[in-house]
Amino acid sequence: MSDYLLDVRGIGISFGGLKACDGLTVQIPTGGLHGLIGPNGAGKTTAFNLITGVYRTQMGSVTLDGVKVDHLRPHEIAKAGLSRTFQNIRLFSELSVLDNVKLACHCRGRHTLLGTLLRTPRFVAQERAMTARAIEMLDVFSLQHLAGEQAKNLPYGDQRRLEICRALATEPKVLLLDEPAAGMNPSEKKALAQSIKLIREQFKLAVLLIEHDMGLVMDICEKITVLDHGCTIAHGTPSEIQNNPKVQEAYLGEPATA
Amino acid sequence: MSGELQQLVPTMMPSAARALLKGVALPVASALVLGLVMQFVVGPAIGAYPASVALQVGISVMLAVSLNIVNGYTGQFSIGHAGFFAVGAYVGAGISYYAALSGIDPASGQQPSQALSNGAWLVWNDGQNFLFSYGEWRMILASIVGGCVAAGLGYIVGLPSLRLRGDYLAIVTLGFGEITRVLLTQTKPQIFDRDELAATHAKDWVIPPMGGATGFSDIPAYASLMWVWFFVAVMIFFAYRVKQSSTGRALLSIREDEIAARSMGVNITKYKVRAFVLAAGLAGLAGSLYAHTGQVIRPQEAGFQRSFEVIIFVVLGGMGSISGVVLAAIILSILPEALRDLSEYRLIVYALLLILMMIVRPKGLFGVREIWEFWPFTRAKKSEKKVITP
Ligand SMILES: Nc1ncnc2c1ncn2[C@@H]1O[C@H](COP(=O)(O)OP(=O)(O)OP(=O)(O)O)[C@@H](O)[C@H]1O
Ligand SMILES: [Mg+2]
Repeated sequence: MSDYLLDVRGIGISFGGLKACDGLTVQIPTGGLHGLIGPNGAGKTTAFNLITGVYRTQMGSVTLDGVKVDHLRPHEIAKAGLSRTFQNIRLFSELSVLDNVKLACHCRGRHTLLGTLLRTPRFVAQERAMTARAIEMLDVFSLQHLAGEQAKNLPYGDQRRLEICRALATEPKVLLLDEPAAGMNPSEKKALAQSIKLIREQFKLAVLLIEHDMGLVMDICEKITVLDHGCTIAHGTPSEIQNNPKVQEAYLGEPATA
Repeated sequence: MSGELQQLVPTMMPSAARALLKGVALPVASALVLGLVMQFVVGPAIGAYPASVALQVGISVMLAVSLNIVNGYTGQFSIGHAGFFAVGAYVGAGISYYAALSGIDPASGQQPSQALSNGAWLVWNDGQNFLFSYGEWRMILASIVGGCVAAGLGYIVGLPSLRLRGDYLAIVTLGFGEITRVLLTQTKPQIFDRDELAATHAKDWVIPPMGGATGFSDIPAYASLMWVWFFVAVMIFFAYRVKQSSTGRALLSIREDEIAARSMGVNITKYKVRAFVLAAGLAGLAGSLYAHTGQVIRPQEAGFQRSFEVIIFVVLGGMGSISGVVLAAIILSILPEALRDLSEYRLIVYALLLILMMIVRPKGLFGVREIWEFWPFTRAKKSEKKVITP
């Protein structure tokens, strides 16, 4: 048993000759907020895909709350308590906002064909519970007034928040956010930072955050891992990272001159 | 759909009884009402020939509603649906016909050819042979068996092929339809003689005597307007309930975005197979009912032409919209009858319609939504709902 809620050790994958992610280790305790940064194409999203089982890791292991999950399929990993958002928003665009969130409650229920066809009391009760829970979740993000709207009709910022809302509805232990602030204006970003802190406490989550906005990352993360070309080039607290010459080199493309 | 009806249900009833009433009795009763109206009001009003068209329209609607579950809700492109239809037709017809021939029908004691000559929608004139007669129950049982066999095949075909995507799945399902068609032509000649039937052994049924390329005829025509439309209503209820459930959301989420669906905890393989099995089962049921409408069934039932027809219903009606698909099936099944002279050009018209739709409304007439969701009245109600929690 490790002391960490999410214990990622040395995972990696190559696409052809390209090592998109090479031996990434990230360990997050319960309630931790961990940042994952790096220049474009560093392999951050690939790391998420490995952790959530979209790609199968070619090395290393992923342990969630003491359970090895790296051999599981994505829906099993979701059920185990890992949920995520996507960099290029992947909402169910034709479905209503409410149904997007209700769908995420799916992995906590039982769904028999017979119950569905006959509308058994158990089925009806479960549907009701899902609706209630989904509305509750939408409430957290003040999206409840949009419940009946098709997801594709939402403004960009709301879509991002709906994705987080949907991810939370799976009742995760660890939440992975892939550039949640992308495309948001400064005030929206500020509000987002607040919500992330809030949900972490309210839902007792650990959060792994990919973000290009350094202000946001430095502000809310306790630990940061920096990737470049698939490799981990630095690891530490925000202030350590800020003063790390390797990081500056990766971002600016040349050795930092003091 | 049943919103107003639900309000009629007394609220003071014990919950279990109420659940049974809402869950089973209400849909069955409304389906019966539709069936009886079609039989005794619509049928006599429109006359014998249009009534026979109405039977075929019902079959088309069932096919459209069933395929909609795979192609519409789940977004998987199956083009072998007629294969399941034909399997259901042959299984149901085989059971009904050979049971009748072997004289298992003590009630009527009729030879199958006699039952046939009564004509499907005219059977009710016969008095002893309509509405809950022995033969009709046997037809329903045979149809359910036909549906189950088709569903089983759906599982066998679906499990490996649903790991495939898009074009590959289409090719596999097309292949399934064609294989079914070829296998059906290889069946042995139909047995018309009672004594000959009695003399058969189990090994004679390894390759069943289903008429081969000439087709299977003299099937007892018990599928009256009443039964066909009863099952149309039941299937629409089923399809609607699936759509409005966690299972339906899972299917729709697969169509919208597989990766997101998986990451949100949906076992996409399981749900694709579920959709496939359900659709195949319903198509098999429809096939068996079709066989009981006084038709000679031929191996071509499994052919691409019928599959294509059903795809048109689903694409035009709106991938996922039950009401849209039902409407498309009704219109497109009546149209060729209305324009008999042009019926040779039907496929050309279909193709043109398809192209037109792709340009004008690529998501079908109604997209994933139902017709009533477009009424301004329901729109208003929806926005009222939105402000419950200010
Ligand atoms: N499925 C794939 N097949 C081949 N190469 C891939 C695949 N997925 C990612 N890559 C490559 O892996 C590298 C890392 O990509 P990744 O999307 O993880 O970067 P990222 O850190 O998320 O970048 P960004 O900040 O732009 O989102 C890129 O060079 C990308 O082209
Ligand atoms: Mg990325």
